[in-house]
Amino acid sequence: MNRTATTTQRLVTARLLHRFNFGPTPGQYVSLLKQGLGATQATVLERHADDPGLRAVAAPYLPDLGPYPSSSAAATAFYDAMTQGNTELVTWWLDRMALAHYPLAERMTWFWHGHWATSVSKVAYPLPMQIQNNTLRSMAFANFNDMAKKMVVDGALNFWLDNEENYVESPNENLAREFMELFTLGVNEFNQNDVTAAALALTGYQTVQSNGRVTFYPKQHYSKSLTVRGKSGPLDAETLASLLVARHQNAEFIAERVWFRFVTSKTKAPPTLAASFANREVSSLVEALVRSPAWSDPAHALVKSPVEWFVGACRALRVRPSSLSSSSLQWCLSQMGQIPFNPPNVGGWPYDEAWLNGAALQYRFDLAQLIVAKGDLAPLKGPASKMVQACADWLGVAEWSRRTASTLAGSTSDPADLVVAALCAPEYVVSA
Amino acid sequence: MNTTTINRRRFLQWTGAGTFAVLSAQLTLEKLASAATTTPLPLGTPILVMVTLYGGNDGLNTVVPFTDPTYQSARSNIALPSAQLLPISDTLAFNSAMPEINALWAQNQVAIVQGVGYPDANLSHFTSMAIWQTASLTSDISSGWLGRWLDIQPHSPFNAIGIGSVLPPMLVGQKSVASMLDLGGIQLPSGPGSTLLPRLGRTSSSDVPLEASAATSISDLFATAQLIGPLVTKSPSGSYLNEQLSLVSTLINANVPTRVWEVNLSSFDTHAGEPTYQNALLAEVSAAIGAFMTSISAGSRAQDVTVMIYSEFGRRVGSNASLGTDHGTAAPVFVIGNSVKGGLYGEQPSLDALDPNGNLVMSTDFRDVYGGLLQDVLMTSVSDVIPSWSTGLSVH
Repeated sequence: MNRTATTTQRLVTARLLHRFNFGPTPGQYVSLLKQGLGATQATVLERHADDPGLRAVAAPYLPDLGPYPSSSAAATAFYDAMTQGNTELVTWWLDRMALAHYPLAERMTWFWHGHWATSVSKVAYPLPMQIQNNTLRSMAFANFNDMAKKMVVDGALNFWLDNEENYVESPNENLAREFMELFTLGVNEFNQNDVTAAALALTGYQTVQSNGRVTFYPKQHYSKSLTVRGKSGPLDAETLASLLVARHQNAEFIAERVWFRFVTSKTKAPPTLAASFANREVSSLVEALVRSPAWSDPAHALVKSPVEWFVGACRALRVRPSSLSSSSLQWCLSQMGQIPFNPPNVGGWPYDEAWLNGAALQYRFDLAQLIVAKGDLAPLKGPASKMVQACADWLGVAEWSRRTASTLAGSTSDPADLVVAALCAPEYVVSA
Repeated sequence: MNTTTINRRRFLQWTGAGTFAVLSAQLTLEKLASAATTTPLPLGTPILVMVTLYGGNDGLNTVVPFTDPTYQSARSNIALPSAQLLPISDTLAFNSAMPEINALWAQNQVAIVQGVGYPDANLSHFTSMAIWQTASLTSDISSGWLGRWLDIQPHSPFNAIGIGSVLPPMLVGQKSVASMLDLGGIQLPSGPGSTLLPRLGRTSSSDVPLEASAATSISDLFATAQLIGPLVTKSPSGSYLNEQLSLVSTLINANVPTRVWEVNLSSFDTHAGEPTYQNALLAEVSAAIGAFMTSISAGSRAQDVTVMIYSEFGRRVGSNASLGTDHGTAAPVFVIGNSVKGGLYGEQPSLDALDPNGNLVMSTDFRDVYGGLLQDVLMTSVSDVIPSWSTGLSVH
């Protein structure tokens, strides 16, 4: 057996760690290179109900703040509580991503957050966003039919997509259309008649904005027969969701979305991926993806989103996100264009090139400095001549280019500088 | 030795880049040189300035159909008194908060496209703005219309610049994004590691395409800072929109090689207290546009610059009980410039033949307004940028 990992082994191992586990902890990359591909796949797939890394991460307590205050005297305290709750929510989730011993669960929750993209910019209250986040986490590996049935009556999603303004006499089609187009079937897999009928199926659900509670009022629901995608009968939210998930286009659509976010935005998924989702079990789909031969194809690069990049750096440098100044952290992430719970629109986060602009780079660099200032740089200890390679092994970079290697080699006398530059290097910003 | 060398040297002198760090000079020289070959932007090259009014500006209290009895009866608590308006035709008048735009109208520099909207109006701010900024009615397309224009331009960090620090969706393409410029200028990274950063902006033969893009974004930042930094040392003053537009006019008059600019103003969502709030906002828009056009007209690019002002939707014809209006549909779009043929375009929607929600029925598709600007200003085929669309309404 070769003692030195091949270029392909380094590439595949780095990809699996960065894309499914937010990047390696110190020493993990080298250790998995020695253990081989099977062990790496098993490691990134590992899940535990009680993750020891998360025991010390307490979920914020978010009370129901109730309706907007009618007096200006109460307004200050109310908006302070909103802002504080939303800030705590973001930091709490980032802590979970960075501290999890088995990060796949958080990584999949993050994927589903981008899939059912709901923004606090409209929902406003932190509590319904937290409830939705807990739903996404608890169902991250569930049967997709169960997830779709749960999400179609999620309070934050219903408010986000105007379902509280969806009445039999004047339907609002927002949720109906996006449910088919973005959540279950994909564009061009339905027509306006389906949207009209689906909107009626979603009438009668009223949401309390401040706590996300959704109540079904049968008298306000359209109870007559509806036809969606050629199937007729009375429909409510759950039966509509199941009708759509049962279509074969749903397997193809979800497989494509997973492929797009984990593998590449440049090519379509192989048909075998949708086949692994025939039973709609998300765990089967994820396992098939991790064990896919796709990982050795050099074309399958993608740009880490700002949150993925940030969490990866925190895991490598053993930095707890909540130990950083939360205002600096949120400012940098917002300037880079990605704060959890605040996707730009219902279509979800941008991808690849959109994350690569000069204005964002200023803040990536600032954030790298913040992380390095708090970080544990011990993995770089050792002779200067080995420091650049040690940095690649530590951060899970398959190979530095000559550009980056020579840049870093010029800074071995100052490890902090070296690490800031390494985190901003194309080889770390991109999961090549 | 050759013109490239001369341009390069001149460029470095012109930007005051003599003190440019040795490390970065070596790395971004090609970038700077290529900027120099296109700097200054050739006189006569058309320039587009997009002004987005976020929140849904009430078109009926901006360009007022003051002789229509329904205007008074449907919104009697917020209808503007005829005596205070600035008439532009027998039936239409500007809100009196807009004297500067009225003066430009008198010089035939304002095209008003009436009743602009999109089919199957959606009253959500988010959906509506997404439709306007992507120029797509369906959410499967998330790239912005000007981003897609960027995609088909030769790469340069200067092609399109947004003012602010958050990239608006309209400027995000599938392959390219606009540069953003804070009102405070560009902050180059400083502190630990910052001297290493420019060296990471070189592309390497081992880069996959996305790594090369990441490297280019680094060199772009330094190139943009070198070109634009010296020009924006003076902090602009005035209202927020005036600050943005005066920065843009400064840079346009300095011949920065930029074809598209983006500025914006928020708070047009006047569900309550509309006469007070909207009048103040329209006054800010009018004063800022007036000052901008004065500055542009005094420079060498008076004929080059076209401004478009739009919002994601207009508002309900009938007012509500809180002296405001709820979300609506069609509204007028303004296109302003010395080379614009001023006047009314399209049809003013009827106040009496409304859709089932009590909203105006649009008469001009917004993609035709974009189409006209693509053809007349950006010199681009409409169908290369807007999905399934090929027509344009010319106001030039």
